[in-house]
Amino acid sequence: MTEQQTIHLAAYWLPLLGCGVILCSWLAMRALRRMITTRQETPNEQIPTIDAEASGRSLIHSWDPRFKIIALLGFAFCAVSLQSPITILIALLLTIITLAIARIPWHRPLRRLLAMNGFLVMFLVVMPLTVPTHSGDTLVVFGNWQMLTCNLRGLELALIIIGKAWCVALLMEPLLATAPLGATLEGLTRLGLPGKISEMLLIAHRYLFVFLGEVQRMRSGMEARAFRPGRRWDTLRDLGNFVGMLLVRSFERTHRVYAAMQARGYTGTLPHHHQFRGAMSDWLQTTIWLGLGLGLVLVDRLGVGGF
Amino acid sequence: MHQLARNLHLQQDGPALYELRDLSYTYPNGQTALERIDLDIASGDRIAIIGQNGAGKSTLLKHLNGLLSVQQGSLAYKGQALLEEHLRRARLEIGLLFQDPDDQLFCNTLQEDVLFGPLNQGLDITAATAATNTALAAVGLAGAARRAPHKLSYGQRKRAGLAGLLAMSPDVLLLDEPTANLDPHQEEVLLQLLKDFTGTLICITHNLLFAYEICERAVVLDRGHIHHDYTFKELVSHKASLREHGLDFTFRFAESPMPEDLHADDQTQSPVRETHTDGHLAPENSPLIQLQDYGFTYPDGTEALIGLDLDISRGETLAIVGENGAGKTTLVSCLMGLRCGSGEYRLDGKQVTDTNRRDNCQQIGMVFQDSSDQLFCPSCYEEVAFGPRQLGLPNETIKKRVAEALGQTGLSGFDERVPLHLSGGERKRLALAAVLAMQPQILILDEPTAGLDPAGEELLLDILKGLDVTLILISHDLFFVRRLTHRTLVLHEGHPVQNYSTKDFFTDTNLTSLNQLDFTYRNRCGLEIMRLQHEHEHSHQHHHSHEHPHRHGDLVHNHLHEHEHEHAHTFSHTHRTEPDKPSQLPANSAQEPTHGHLPRADQPHDHEHPNHEEEPHKHEH
Repeated sequence: MTEQQTIHLAAYWLPLLGCGVILCSWLAMRALRRMITTRQETPNEQIPTIDAEASGRSLIHSWDPRFKIIALLGFAFCAVSLQSPITILIALLLTIITLAIARIPWHRPLRRLLAMNGFLVMFLVVMPLTVPTHSGDTLVVFGNWQMLTCNLRGLELALIIIGKAWCVALLMEPLLATAPLGATLEGLTRLGLPGKISEMLLIAHRYLFVFLGEVQRMRSGMEARAFRPGRRWDTLRDLGNFVGMLLVRSFERTHRVYAAMQARGYTGTLPHHHQFRGAMSDWLQTTIWLGLGLGLVLVDRLGVGGF
Repeated sequence: MHQLARNLHLQQDGPALYELRDLSYTYPNGQTALERIDLDIASGDRIAIIGQNGAGKSTLLKHLNGLLSVQQGSLAYKGQALLEEHLRRARLEIGLLFQDPDDQLFCNTLQEDVLFGPLNQGLDITAATAATNTALAAVGLAGAARRAPHKLSYGQRKRAGLAGLLAMSPDVLLLDEPTANLDPHQEEVLLQLLKDFTGTLICITHNLLFAYEICERAVVLDRGHIHHDYTFKELVSHKASLREHGLDFTFRFAESPMPEDLHADDQTQSPVRETHTDGHLAPENSPLIQLQDYGFTYPDGTEALIGLDLDISRGETLAIVGENGAGKTTLVSCLMGLRCGSGEYRLDGKQVTDTNRRDNCQQIGMVFQDSSDQLFCPSCYEEVAFGPRQLGLPNETIKKRVAEALGQTGLSGFDERVPLHLSGGERKRLALAAVLAMQPQILILDEPTAGLDPAGEELLLDILKGLDVTLILISHDLFFVRRLTHRTLVLHEGHPVQNYSTKDFFTDTNLTSLNQLDFTYRNRCGLEIMRLQHEHEHSHQHHHSHEHPHRHGDLVHNHLHEHEHEHAHTFSHTHRTEPDKPSQLPANSAQEPTHGHLPRADQPHDHEHPNHEEEPHKHEH
């Protein structure tokens, strides 16, 4: 049994470190947000189009969506099963290289990370304070504040979780952005996903933008009549009316869209129009990716090379 | 060649493409939408189905495509009822263009969407792609095939919806309000596309000028019944029928000279200049709204407004015109405080900043283009009371204001009605009432006539003329611009191009090429319809003098006879318009505007009467 190691720091380090972390996070978020908002594709665009980069040209773009789904999802599963920070770092590095090969503009993956970082930062704060102490752990104590003893193993675990989350999130870009969403979903259907689900996803993606446009216009309509969210009961009632009207409008649109589909011959199944031809290069790329993923898992589990 | 691969079109049995007999339809809530409709539509007909909101037009259109099942009576397409396999195949050759293109474009790219129909028709991917490319090229969207629908402008989406139908080479095209929310340029593009369509065309629209260009037959619906089935020319030349069904749009032309007449002045245009009034207004010295070097840039870098200087005085009426995307709505959003741009903005002398811009709504009210965007309460009373309640007014004042606003907009007694169930015109007026209840100093109207039938437009015009506010009007409807405003700001790609009196705007011949503010076809149709309306039959006493041979005993001789009799003849005349003295009659007056023709109808008169001798007639000898 190895003894726990304790590092004693003066109490003033706690607010200093806290402020430092908050300041760094704020600056990083601000820089990211600025970088992202200046690269928005259309005015008022609140969410990016998933397949906005589908028309690009790269190895990833020319990859058959079915193979791409198997390879990248397989690699993602391998990445989340890693335990060593070093192997996770390698997985992250491979993901970033994939992004570079796919020539995806950096603001897209950064935006994705920004959306999830607020949640992930909580792990950084909570886990060092809450993981159970094991033998061999290193603890940091600030002055006499025993209650706020930080366990560096908790910090390491938080970083591992963040690394895995980043890896999977970044992999979604080459997976979803490098082919038309219809092709990706059709690929998923060919791999066994029920057709109804992929049709619903496809239509949901299309109408997300229409829905957001309606939300914006209705919000402007309320603001133009002096609406300010407050703590009064009236606010709850007004917001209830707002949400209710959105639901009614969406419900009515659903009927109209279905009618429009029927009017053009829809009988329950969207026609398939993407042609898939598994070439040797698709097999090769898939094998490489799955090989890399499994290799990382082996290294991670067997501790090859001291990892 | 791709046409060869398409499933064979259904054979037509019988003379009519559609045969509707005693067709009735009642919605689950008990509302009767159609009642005993008898209608034959031949192949190649170009029909406008017109009528007021709620007349049953959309319900009829949905029957023609089989989207609604026949409840009572019968409907046959190519000789067979629209059921099962016949319905499935019929839908593949009957194209329906929905009013809102977002309903129609349900795929993630334009190409996928247009491919949808041809693939359902059974074309292979190569043939379907060829049909798609042809259709997209026909509507001028060949370069946008891979774009997502939400990244297209409204006009582009409308054309994309049409491309989705054209790719299916339909026999029948059903159009539901095809021009709703389109600017004049886009409207004319659509018009040309539909003129080129050679199949059967059935269109429901309030835009009779548009329908006049593409339709030959008019079916007038009124509360579920067919009231008239005319040729379109007969309909528009029969003003009484139009007025009876709330479709008389000639109030637009009757009171003031057409822009062409104004163009005749051929005034030389000056560069950008400020003209505050044309004499109708007496604005105070300090502007109510003052913008200096004002700009607005969207997060993606699109400059929506650039270097705008604008003063609006109290009591002034200003029109903001320009093509779609010119920055009109962005400008009024900034004025409302919904957005914050760069440069200086003063409202009633007070600097508007990012922190206080949300207070603007206490002085400025805005009616949105789509009134549904600002109606969300369960009753009309709640809707109108929403604004005053947000301002923190006492209940008694709110009640008083609601009653006043509903009365002003002709909605008294609507308190408990559900806004969602109102007609388009009523909703527009309710949105106006909701704004008026806040008693704004400035009223902004964004495309107030969009989706209104002519009767609704006329009513709205009367309401707006009676308001005592500073008015800012965004509209493609030049009639409203002319009737309601005295100054016009022309925007083009975010720049103020002109800022002058509305009178000068109407004489400005330079705007068409720059701004796509091309209203020429509307004016052409309007004049044509006016001409038709003044070519009608009079039946009245005529005094004739003529010679003809007749017998007195054995004597046959000729001499002059004079007699009076009544007979009808087609008579052309024009309204007597005095440019410097517009009609004193209100636009919605039941009385005809002053007009006359010589000789007067109430006095016997003579005129050339060919073949009178051959007609049987009697007179004393």
